Amino acid sequence: MPQHTWRSLRSIFSLFFPAGRKSRKTKVFFAIACLPVLMALIIKMNQSFFGGRTIEGMAVFTNIIMAFYLQFLILVLALFYGSSVCLEEIEGKTLTYLTTRPISKSGIVLGKYAAYVIIVIPMVLAGVVFSFFILNFEDLADFSIWAVLAKDLGVLALGLMCYTAFFTFLGTFFKRSILFGLVFAFGWENAVQYFPGSTQRFTIVHYLKSLLPGGTVTTSGRFSFLLFKLDPSPPLTAIVTLLIVTAVFLGLACLLFSQKEYLFEE
Amino acid sequence: MTAVIETKSLSKWYGNILGLSDVTLEIEAGITGLLGPNGAGKSTFMKLLTGQMKPSIGQVIVQGQKIRNNYDLYARIGFCPEQDAFYEEMTGWEFLTSLLKLFPFSHAQVEARAEKTLNIVELWNDKDRLIRAYSRGMRQRLKFAQAIAHDPDIIILDEPLNGLDPLGKRKVIRLIKDYKSEGKTIIVSSHVLPEIEALTRTIILIHQGKILAQGDIHYIRDLIDAHPHIIAIKCNDPRALAGRLVGEPSVFNIQFGPAADTVLFETKNRDRFFSLLPRLIVENRLDVEEITSPDDNLQAVFDYLVGK
Repeated sequence: MPQHTWRSLRSIFSLFFPAGRKSRKTKVFFAIACLPVLMALIIKMNQSFFGGRTIEGMAVFTNIIMAFYLQFLILVLALFYGSSVCLEEIEGKTLTYLTTRPISKSGIVLGKYAAYVIIVIPMVLAGVVFSFFILNFEDLADFSIWAVLAKDLGVLALGLMCYTAFFTFLGTFFKRSILFGLVFAFGWENAVQYFPGSTQRFTIVHYLKSLLPGGTVTTSGRFSFLLFKLDPSPPLTAIVTLLIVTAVFLGLACLLFSQKEYLFEE
Repeated sequence: MTAVIETKSLSKWYGNILGLSDVTLEIEAGITGLLGPNGAGKSTFMKLLTGQMKPSIGQVIVQGQKIRNNYDLYARIGFCPEQDAFYEEMTGWEFLTSLLKLFPFSHAQVEARAEKTLNIVELWNDKDRLIRAYSRGMRQRLKFAQAIAHDPDIIILDEPLNGLDPLGKRKVIRLIKDYKSEGKTIIVSSHVLPEIEALTRTIILIHQGKILAQGDIHYIRDLIDAHPHIIAIKCNDPRALAGRLVGEPSVFNIQFGPAADTVLFETKNRDRFFSLLPRLIVENRLDVEEITSPDDNLQAVFDYLVGK
């Protein structure tokens, strides 16, 4: 990365990381990210105080909590934060303040992307960790479940990086990127992942699910919901593919943002 | 004097729409007013000067260098955009320091420059308020502050007086004049002639993407004076006033209306007309409610220049 782009990236990061952390959008999404924690608490209290049906903590965690985060929340967060990297500057007409400074346009894209990814990853991971503790309170001495948690956190972080890069690109390309993003996230990704054979490899979620613990075997029980019809890719292939997708879409976003002239609507 | 900014055959199209057409000019140090009605191409011209846009044809040379993607030059230019846009969830202080951090300044320099600039634009006491709670005048001054905070050699201001009350306008005009005395190059755009008149005598007249005239403001004033002016006076006895001006050589047409208490005078010598008017008002003990010039605006001048 050229030195000037690196300096621009750091400057933009230092502007948008604190601003993004304090924004109303972040507060709202943080509340949504904590919903599974509330759900976990209700399930646990129902079991403990009202004698509700005992369900294995890990089963609830993987089939409900992880499904919520993996299939819904990281997509929504990546969509709203990723597409806003460029779009909020154009719609808010604040882009001029950045493009008249001695910073590169690639630095603007990469700096804002980095700031937003570093805001959303802890937001998601905190909810997952709390849910995990609540649901597995009695089994914390079993170290095998800790390995599962670590893998789950890694998958979600990778997913956020990859989806945010994709939606950042979409935000530089389309004016109505949220609409296209919703079609991609809840149309393409949600449907094609269940296609048998190799078609499912054209989704990002396929590679994320391939990395889930137990992803190499399609068994019932734990992860059964997430692994339905999954024909997993080898873990290394999945990681490399996700990193390449992230790099390619970020590169495309930088290129497009540097070349395109954005006009503000009156 | 040497030109600080030069444009050569500068043109810009937005698809099939012409934004700016074949502009070749030189701008020297001091204040230059860019005058034109809304949609004339002023903002396009300024965006090309600041390197935000790539010309379709031609080039922009600033201090002897091409501007596009020239980050050293960007650091020497301050730009105040027309649109009332901010990071609304920031305070004035956060906004200014954040934008200063995009220059290669140390933390101490950023804070010192922000403090100095907020004092200059008289926003120091409001620095910790959220921008969304600022009045229009404060927002305009904050926009001006971000353009001058890094102490640029060239300051480009797109409609900086837009939406300000008279007191606010006076403050901003004073600030701009202060920077002129420091030897800076300042370009100010406006669609209101008196605003530019209050700032400078050097103007560029732009209309439909073309430069109609460039030079001293007297030239424009002469064009206005050669053009018939309509002056509407609303008073308690318009007929008495009309009677006193019937034989006046500078008045060549008088009409009543549209309201019963309004009289319209057409004159080619506005200065003489206005020098006579106070005496006539006093002598006839007229109660004048309003004096307006319905066509004393730039559009009338442009229409005149383009022969409409």
